[in-house]
Amino acid sequence: MNDDQLEKLAQRLGARAAERLDVEATAQAVIERLRAERAAGERIGSWLPRQWLRIAAALVIVVGGGAVALRIMGSSHQSSASAPADLDGLSTDQLKQVLEGVGESGGEAVVSVQDVGLDDLNTVELRALLESLEG
Amino acid sequence: MPPAEPVAAVPSDAALIAAWKGGDEQAAAELVRRHARALARFLGASGSGGRGDADVDDLVQETFIRAFRALGRFRGQCRFRTWLMTIGGNVLKDAYRKARRTRVVPLAEELRDTEGDPHEHAVAGEMEARLAAGLERLPRMQREVFLLRAQQGLEYEEIAGALGTTPGAARVHFHHAVKRLKEQLA
Repeated sequence: MNDDQLEKLAQRLGARAAERLDVEATAQAVIERLRAERAAGERIGSWLPRQWLRIAAALVIVVGGGAVALRIMGSSHQSSASAPADLDGLSTDQLKQVLEGVGESGGEAVVSVQDVGLDDLNTVELRALLESLEG
Repeated sequence: MPPAEPVAAVPSDAALIAAWKGGDEQAAAELVRRHARALARFLGASGSGGRGDADVDDLVQETFIRAFRALGRFRGQCRFRTWLMTIGGNVLKDAYRKARRTRVVPLAEELRDTEGDPHEHAVAGEMEARLAAGLERLPRMQREVFLLRAQQGLEYEEIAGALGTTPGAARVHFHHAVKRLKEQLA
C-alpha cells in the first residue's frame, strides 16, 4: 500500500459516523446543555456568598471558642498542679499579680482563623461545626 | 440583466466565538453546524472510544461542551476546528478509560450496515477495520498527527500549533505513523 492509498483509506474512516450524525439535533443538544450550565452557574453564584459568610462565621466561633477553651484548660491544669508548691510563699500583692497574669493569658488566646484549618479541629469541634452548618 | 444579489457575509469562526461570548446562543449553534461533521469523522476514525459509531454523537456533543467551557483559553494558536479536534482527543481518552471500566460489546458490523452491496462493504470494511485497529495501537501523538494530516488535510504548522509541538516533530510523528500503519496493513 502506498501513501496515497493509505491517505484515501484514512479519509474514509469515520465517514459513516459523520454521515449519520444529525447535525441540527447535535447543535440543539449542545445549546440546551450550555443553557442549563449557565443557569446552574448563576444559581451557584447567588448562593455562594451567603453560604460562605455563614460558614466563615461558624468557623470563627467554633475554632476561636475551642482554642480559648483549650488555652484556659491548659493553664488551669498547670496552675492547679503547681499551686501547692509555689503559691504558699507568696504575699497578697504577689498573688494578685499572678491572677492578673492568668487573666491576661486568657485574653491573648484569640486565634487567627487564617492559622487554623479543619485539620486542627477535634471530633467534638467538627461535630459542632457540622451541626451549626445544618442549623 | 438584473443586478446580482449581494452575497451574504459568512461570519468567521472568530466572529462567532466573540458573539457566543457575548451571549448569542445562535452563534454557538452555528459553530456546531459548521464543524460537527468533520469532528465526527475525526472521532469515528480514532475509534470512538471503543464504543462504536453510534456513540460518536455523544462524543461530538461532549467535545463541543468542553470546547465552549474552555473558550477563554483558546488564543487562536490554530484554527478553531483544529483546536476542537485536540479537545476531541481528550474526550476520546476519557471515553476509552470509561469503556475499559464498563465493557460494551459493539454491534457486529453487518448488523450496523444494512445498505449497499454486502461484498463491497465487507472488503472496504475489512481494510478500514484494520486501519482503525492499527490507529488504536499507535501512540496518541502519532495517531492525532496522522489523522489531522491524512484525514483532515492540515499543514504541519497548523498541527504543531494545535498539539503544542514543532512542525518538524509533527512531520516525524506522521512518518512514524505511516510506517507502522503500512506494516500492519501489509
